[in-house]
Amino acid sequence: MGSLHLVHIKLLAADLLSLTCRHTSPPSFVRCGRTVARVEIVGVVVSRDRRDKFLRFLVDDGTGCVPCVLWLNHQYLNANRSSGASESDPTAEMALKMSEVVNLGALLRVRGRIVLYRGAIQITVRDVVLEKNPNVEVLHWLQCVSMAKECYDPRPPSA
Amino acid sequence: MASSILQPGVPVTLQELEPSSELFRQGASLRVTGILQSYDLSSAAAVIQDGSASFKVDTQHLRDISFRTNSTYQFIGELLIKPDNDVYHSHKFISLFDLPLEDATTACFTSLQAILQARVGRNVDGLDLNLYQQSLIIRRQYEAKLRSSRA
Repeated sequence: MGSLHLVHIKLLAADLLSLTCRHTSPPSFVRCGRTVARVEIVGVVVSRDRRDKFLRFLVDDGTGCVPCVLWLNHQYLNANRSSGASESDPTAEMALKMSEVVNLGALLRVRGRIVLYRGAIQITVRDVVLEKNPNVEVLHWLQCVSMAKECYDPRPPSA
Repeated sequence: MASSILQPGVPVTLQELEPSSELFRQGASLRVTGILQSYDLSSAAAVIQDGSASFKVDTQHLRDISFRTNSTYQFIGELLIKPDNDVYHSHKFISLFDLPLEDATTACFTSLQAILQARVGRNVDGLDLNLYQQSLIIRRQYEAKLRSSRA
């Protein structure tokens, strides 16, 4: 199967930001003939913009700056769905908790779905992890290079 | 949010930050790593070192970071290159005319002062600098391959 859409693939920002976009609905993204839908990046937060319903931030891994959006609007969505009193929503709590680790200068591992926003690639965040060991970034670089060579670059067998 | 205008801080070693390097240019966005040698509280200027190379970093825009000498730090910011006033206003500048061309060129280069105006900084104690530099070489080779495949 030529698709990598079921897993979060490890990519450097330069690689992610140069994926080919297919203007389907919703847009899909292709790397070396394979569809890519989810991604994992590691880098330093260089910009942060907290709004009521979302947190936008930029992750810089030295090859590019990746725009990421973490949605914090779960309570609005839940309010529309149920008429009862607002109960604690674990998803909303988790998103809020994750937003707290997104600070300038923090080294983060971000996983999420690749989307197109105003013509540019960005990540809709699924989860964020604060990395305390600085060596994990180096390991991520090597894993990206290795995975590209072993797994992502080889062309899928033609159908 | 100024996301669209932010350039990635390209990781460089301090040894690479010399005037003959292509990375040594005004306004270049860089990421530098080194062991803190000194920190001047009044000017917020930090001097980091890696091996025999040292480099000055302006940290006045950084918050929530405490500086300890002999700890390792990483900074992302823009390179500011300016003439070293101490040199230009001294006899060295005038005496350049008396030097052979090659020596004068060297003297001109050494009289440039570079400083990184950091916008982001963090403590990276525990980072294996040797592994970091080796991995950087592998990563650059991969990036070059990526660029050539798209060209």
